[in-house]
Amino acid sequence: MKWAAVLGITTILVIITLREWPKLRPEMKREKAAFAILTILDGTLAFLLVFYPDLPGPTQGLDAMTKPLVKFFGNLMAEWSG
Amino acid sequence: MVESGKISASQAGKLLYLTVIPTAILTSPVMIFKVAKQDLWISPILAWSGLITVFIALRLHRMFPGENIIQAGERIIGKFLGKMVGLIFPLFYLYLNGIVVREYGEFVVGALLVNTPLIVVLGSMVLVCAIVVRGGIEIVGRFAELFLPAFITLFLLIIVPIIPDLNISNMLPVMGEGIAPSLAGTLVLQLWFSEFITYSFILPFVTDQKNAAKSIMVALGAVILTLVVSNLATLLLLGELTGNYAYPFLILARYINLAEFFTHLESLFMAIWVLGAFVKICAFFYVTVLSAAQWMNLSDYKPIVYPLGFLLILVSLWVAPNYQEMTRAISTSVNLSIFTVFVAIPVLLFGLACVKKAVHKNKTRG
Repeated sequence: MKWAAVLGITTILVIITLREWPKLRPEMKREKAAFAILTILDGTLAFLLVFYPDLPGPTQGLDAMTKPLVKFFGNLMAEWSG
Repeated sequence: MVESGKISASQAGKLLYLTVIPTAILTSPVMIFKVAKQDLWISPILAWSGLITVFIALRLHRMFPGENIIQAGERIIGKFLGKMVGLIFPLFYLYLNGIVVREYGEFVVGALLVNTPLIVVLGSMVLVCAIVVRGGIEIVGRFAELFLPAFITLFLLIIVPIIPDLNISNMLPVMGEGIAPSLAGTLVLQLWFSEFITYSFILPFVTDQKNAAKSIMVALGAVILTLVVSNLATLLLLGELTGNYAYPFLILARYINLAEFFTHLESLFMAIWVLGAFVKICAFFYVTVLSAAQWMNLSDYKPIVYPLGFLLILVSLWVAPNYQEMTRAISTSVNLSIFTVFVAIPVLLFGLACVKKAVHKNKTRG
């Protein structure tokens, strides 16, 4: 099942690349670099998520960053709503 | 110039209305009801971050014509810091859009297409949105203009038939415990009203600038009115039960029974939801793509639309393991961080811009 997902992801990324790459003119170096970096990022993240579905996500990061504030506002809201 | 398309002020207003309202109708009643109880309909009126963000978007655009908040930020706090702030915006729009896409998917799968895998629902929506965003701001604006009448008609089709069944005593006592509970409810609503900062990214493409302020104020008023009506209808029909449902507005649509003939109108609500979510995802996706392209100094944003769309699907699956976990995050950490990025940072930038302008004026005078 996991290998089917890997195959699917690779197919989609290859289709995107085949569609977009010919439209990039030779002088568009920045665009080519941006496209390549984003596609590689896509592939890496997709494979990581296939094999480690419990990978800590951005939500956990925000949770950790805003913990004290969330607590403060949670208390405030509880107090206000009576 | 990354974008060559232009839209009219009224299209921009309609786009902003449809950008803010869909998820607000769907999920906000439960979240506000938890804190504000029967005063949940007062909270949208008191939510102030909409006014602040609209004001800042308009004033910053007047100070730096033709530039959005990121470009203006680079001028206010310098190239390096401006780039740092400029990276936060696309990342946050991507993340927030991931949440919206996931909400859309969870709702469609939970309420209608029970046996369809989530990834198929998410993927098809993101693909359609990517095609639209690739077409540019004009296409996004026209879709908003096209869908708004349908959206409002369907909304009224749900509200009007249940009017005879509304029970006024459900909203009593009004402000029984003072204004504090409804103020606590506004803290939840900041999440949606702060999304009005999106206007800063749309403003540079508006052709008739003199109507821009008017159309956005109409959009803000319409959002407040729609939320008051939908929250009030939910409350008057369901009363204390409002907090028990995941999607109270869906229950409203299910409740409609006209002459034993028009029943099970939740498909109407599904139509509203798909139209609204489509415009919302398009708008956020457009801002993500545009600000990412500007951040990387690209001459064209079209090449990065599909890779970012793929990333959007990944993020939407990555934000939370399930719907309950996501709603918890939305009402706590996501709400606060969105408030920081969409309200606090713009306020800070605007304050600095004002100070800089005043100092500059003094220098030239003295």
